[in-house]
Amino acid sequence: MYRLIRGEEIALIFQDPMTRLSPLMRIQDHFLEEIHAHESVSSTEARRRAREALVSMGIHETRIRNYPHEFSGGMRQRIMIALALVLKPSLLIADEPTTSLDVIVEAQILEILQDLKEAYHMSLLLITHNLGIVAEVCDRVAVLYAGKLVELGSVRDIFHKPLHPYTQGLLSSVIHLETKELHSIEGSPPDLIAPPSGCRFHPRCSYAEPICTEKIPPLVEFEPGHFAACHFGDKFL
Amino acid sequence: MTGPAAVAQPEPAHEILRLDNLEVHFPVKMPFVQRLLQRDETVVHAVDGVSFGIRAGQILGLVGESGCGKSTVGRACVRLVKPTGGRIFFDGQDITELGGGKLRALRRRIQIIFQDPHASLNPAMTIGKAIGHPLRIHSSEYGPQATGREEFGEWIRQKALGAMREVGLTPEEQLYYKYPGDLSGGQKQRAVMARALILEPNLLVVDEGVSMLDMSVRAKVLELMLDLKRRHGLTYLFITHDLATAKFICDKIAIMYLGRIVEIGPASEIYADPKHPYTKALLQVIPIPDPDRRAKKVLPRGEVPDAVHPPAGCRFHPRCPAVLASCGWEGRDFVDFLDEHLSNPKSGGEDESILGPIEDWKAKGLVASFEADTLRAGMAVERVKAVLVEAPVAMKQAVESVSLQNRTVTVRFRSPDKLLQTKVQGRVVECLLYQ
Repeated sequence: MYRLIRGEEIALIFQDPMTRLSPLMRIQDHFLEEIHAHESVSSTEARRRAREALVSMGIHETRIRNYPHEFSGGMRQRIMIALALVLKPSLLIADEPTTSLDVIVEAQILEILQDLKEAYHMSLLLITHNLGIVAEVCDRVAVLYAGKLVELGSVRDIFHKPLHPYTQGLLSSVIHLETKELHSIEGSPPDLIAPPSGCRFHPRCSYAEPICTEKIPPLVEFEPGHFAACHFGDKFL
Repeated sequence: MTGPAAVAQPEPAHEILRLDNLEVHFPVKMPFVQRLLQRDETVVHAVDGVSFGIRAGQILGLVGESGCGKSTVGRACVRLVKPTGGRIFFDGQDITELGGGKLRALRRRIQIIFQDPHASLNPAMTIGKAIGHPLRIHSSEYGPQATGREEFGEWIRQKALGAMREVGLTPEEQLYYKYPGDLSGGQKQRAVMARALILEPNLLVVDEGVSMLDMSVRAKVLELMLDLKRRHGLTYLFITHDLATAKFICDKIAIMYLGRIVEIGPASEIYADPKHPYTKALLQVIPIPDPDRRAKKVLPRGEVPDAVHPPAGCRFHPRCPAVLASCGWEGRDFVDFLDEHLSNPKSGGEDESILGPIEDWKAKGLVASFEADTLRAGMAVERVKAVLVEAPVAMKQAVESVSLQNRTVTVRFRSPDKLLQTKVQGRVVECLLYQ
């Protein structure tokens, strides 16, 4: 069952494009393997689709016979995206897609992802630690802390009116060009073998009250579409 | 906590480090036979003529993308790699050729911190022992010689504990006996700093020292660095790819691209008004954490080219959004453009049969050439001219001639203008736009 969904409906691109392509396979073989696993089409047709996907990512179709090591990091990530798109999925999960790339190439890849969203009406789940990228690309944001969803809302809600103290700390510790002062969240992420009781963020939270150590805060909708898991979320509304 | 540039410099201090036209080339390893057949040596031009100075108590940020040679500059300053050209002066002394004992004595005064704190610490050595280790290595110059081993050991222990307090690695008595595996990333980076500082160096080279740390830990380590600078007058060479972090702590910024410094000057000037198109591009791609300020960016094309054969003229010209005809266009730029043209299904279709395949094009220096079919040579010249009409204006203007001899179609570019370092508004820029 999973096999029918994976690739065809949900595709995944990984953080490190250097290690995700098989070094022993030509680019076209990556495509052929994937297409044949899902659809019974002729090799000619599969190759045609592969070329089309590559060209749409700005890579010359003659390079389809090359090996991964013959491409640069940015090109390999574009090949990964082409591989994900060749089956026309409805959801693309991108797990830190630009973390190992240079800043300018990162901006290029983000631009491609944005264009795809619009051109293919594809949904994108972008996993990242870089809040600058979130502000630039995303429509909605979910903030995770120690295995729990602590806040969920539109990108404007999250950046302009963060309700959870963790989100607030995260936002204030971003270093960008207008940073005048450095902020940081005290302490370090908890041990997940024995996570803290109650709210998992309470040992590092400056607003923590006794209730935070006792009761796990439920995810509450404080405003339409804006959820947070904090006992005192309404304090920040 | 004060702002980045607010720390006042009393008076211009002396220059503690000066690089004079530094050059580091690495040979490319190749099979013996190939080496015999190839006349000119193949080298990676990691650093190709870099000059700058750092005054005592200053933080110089060396910024660039990966592969631009910034780490190699840092390593050369500590003499971990040997320069193939140019000179390095430390405190007025030429250290380019230093070796043996003199080099070891120098390392006491210049220390380096690497990106990955985990890889920088020996997993089998306790934190305290690792921090005190440099004192043992330099024991001939340190420590009371006359005292016995035990006293010396205790003296080192006290020094290490002091260094740990200095960098905020507390409670130091407990952490002293821990192993690197027991510490968090931020603590490990503090331990690495304590180890570098225990020798009381004058210059600290920080090679992407905070890049691997979480945002919130990064802020703390940066504050520690600023604090140490204020208290001990420490000088830093801060190597990073992150212009936002560099802005926060650097007094002076040098932007590096493919082995050359393209812009260097006071941080405040460069951030307020970047001049070099590459600096502009780097600043522009930094995401602003505000969803209401999304903006379409003008990005440089492609990626950093291979440093074995860096582009002629200005090395940024193939990617530059503000490129001129005189910037260094050469044969392979035309071949790259043609490749792009042919691979575009909208424009390339019919040309592919006349001008392709792209592999048949040869580029050498200013010239790109192609053996056409006997029958279609005339047509090929016409098509090349037609393709050039669509080329970027600067490339079009740089073409000297498109000619046909026998069956060979040749595109020749005119030679580029000489690129000079130019003083513009308080900084030095290497760009023809300002010459």
